[in-house]
Amino acid sequence: MSLLAAEGLVKDFGGLRAIDGLSVSIDEGELVGVMGPNGAGKSTFFNCVSGVIPPDEGTVTLDGTDVTGDPPESLAHRGLVRTFQNTRELETMTVRDNVRLAAPDQPGERTLPALLRSGSMREREETVRERADELIETFELDHLADEYSSNLSGGQRKLLELARTLMLDPDVLLLDEPFAGVNPTLTREIADHVRDLNADGMTIVIIEHELETLTDLVDRLVVLQQGRLLVEGEPEAVLEDERVIEAYLGGDAE
Amino acid sequence: MSALDRLPSGRGDRALLAGVACLLVGGLFALTPLQADLPSALYVFVEVGITFVIYGMLVLGLDLQYGHTGLVNFGHVVFFAVGAYATAMLAAQDSFSGIALGYPWPLALLVGVIAAALLGVVVSATSIRLRDDFLAIVTLATAEIFHSIFVNFEGTFGGNVGILGVPRPIAALVGDADTRLIATLLVLGGFTLITLAVVTRLTDAPYGRVLRAIRADELVTRSVGKSTITYKTQAFVYGAALAGFAGGLFALYNGAVAPGFFTIQVTVTVWIGMLLGGAANHRAVLAGLAIIMGLRLVSRFGLSVTPVSGDVFAAFRLLVVGLILVAVIRYRPAGIWGDPQELGVDQ
Repeated sequence: MSLLAAEGLVKDFGGLRAIDGLSVSIDEGELVGVMGPNGAGKSTFFNCVSGVIPPDEGTVTLDGTDVTGDPPESLAHRGLVRTFQNTRELETMTVRDNVRLAAPDQPGERTLPALLRSGSMREREETVRERADELIETFELDHLADEYSSNLSGGQRKLLELARTLMLDPDVLLLDEPFAGVNPTLTREIADHVRDLNADGMTIVIIEHELETLTDLVDRLVVLQQGRLLVEGEPEAVLEDERVIEAYLGGDAE
Repeated sequence: MSALDRLPSGRGDRALLAGVACLLVGGLFALTPLQADLPSALYVFVEVGITFVIYGMLVLGLDLQYGHTGLVNFGHVVFFAVGAYATAMLAAQDSFSGIALGYPWPLALLVGVIAAALLGVVVSATSIRLRDDFLAIVTLATAEIFHSIFVNFEGTFGGNVGILGVPRPIAALVGDADTRLIATLLVLGGFTLITLAVVTRLTDAPYGRVLRAIRADELVTRSVGKSTITYKTQAFVYGAALAGFAGGLFALYNGAVAPGFFTIQVTVTVWIGMLLGGAANHRAVLAGLAIIMGLRLVSRFGLSVTPVSGDVFAAFRLLVVGLILVAVIRYRPAGIWGDPQELGVDQ
């Protein structure tokens, strides 16, 4: 059974139809790449699925439950977390706090335990700190842990964003262009992290322009064009598909 | 500095201790024949000090809303006013204008806090989803509407005269003027210190981390599973309730309320104090408020030593205060003790 499924999604922005009857289904444990030329509707697809914007039509189901139009915070509780195309850091907070923030089930995020400094809040905060430091170390940000995230480079921001989402221990991870503007070494590093996470059972969907990295990485490629599903399948087969070549290289040749 | 690593620690507990100590000493003055002797030259300082500790509760609430959560509230005075009016109308024994119900003052104070919090809930429910600047307009308009209501519904709110005959619990216990002033300052100051301890605990805890995350980027905060609307509403209502509490205490200290005490000037003063000291830092906003109120006080005495007329001096005084603010904004845009990185201000 599919873990995450979008069925007949439609989203209009004024007169522009960004996605048009798009259906994509992702199985548990899969590593899926989503590609397509600019304006194909990749990010809109992510936004609709992750609850950032509600779709005009269609449904999104997560683990058998209809979650269409649910806000991002409730999807995060259900185990679906995303990153953003232009990395969004909490720039006025330190790297540590960025990661710690994402910790779920912290009683100290409610007024009374916070005021009373309850034991459960302190205990939870201890584990949160340990886990956050682990993740910061895994992503080799430990030397920057007390730095404000506004001081981080583009690549470091990508790593931080990944660390932050992993704090939630999601079942489904949506990555919006995790390799954009990242140097080749770091790209390999991020790709390795993604591979490891997937090997541990996390279902991952990646939007990416960087074709080579993507095709090496994923089990399945989904190609979008003008808001519709163009082709999907094994990466090698998809890349040789004429429609894909035309969409990427031919552009207007119809 | 500890802002880098906020583990709930002893920070703020000293304020709690100091607050309780102030209340106890104030209570000692009020309840025992113990007397204080105050040189008359200091009267004005103690009186401004009392206003300062009352406004201190306002600035701490505002800092929770703006400094930590990023909510722009340009109508903070309305919650102060609603708390004061509700307390006054319920507790006043007999007032020759407006409503006077004569209930016990502790009940009236409680209702004052609840009334201000309820107004906070209503404003949040309708407007907390708005973008910063729109929330600013809504809160500003709310304050103006209520000001207008207080002035024009004379039968209920006493018009420009306001509500008189509000009981003054401390004055009722202490006959001597000097002791009364000192006891008032200590008791109200004690409440302000306890408020400081409470908001410090709140913002040092993971709760404060969520608030600061909302200020930094609301969408990110939502996408890591925090219900930001709930937090924004809570921060707004807590700030409103604090202002209501301050308003109630003001009514019970002053013995009367009138629209003139609740003009936009109050909002402006606490905003300037907060920005001058440095938003998102509780002690800094109190210090900032002390500076702006101190400047206004000290500059009053300047008239006697300058060879100009009162009118010219008044204008000159505003000019100096304005210049100091310009200098702070130019050289310390995050406020005197504010952290530019924490506030995202470029230097």
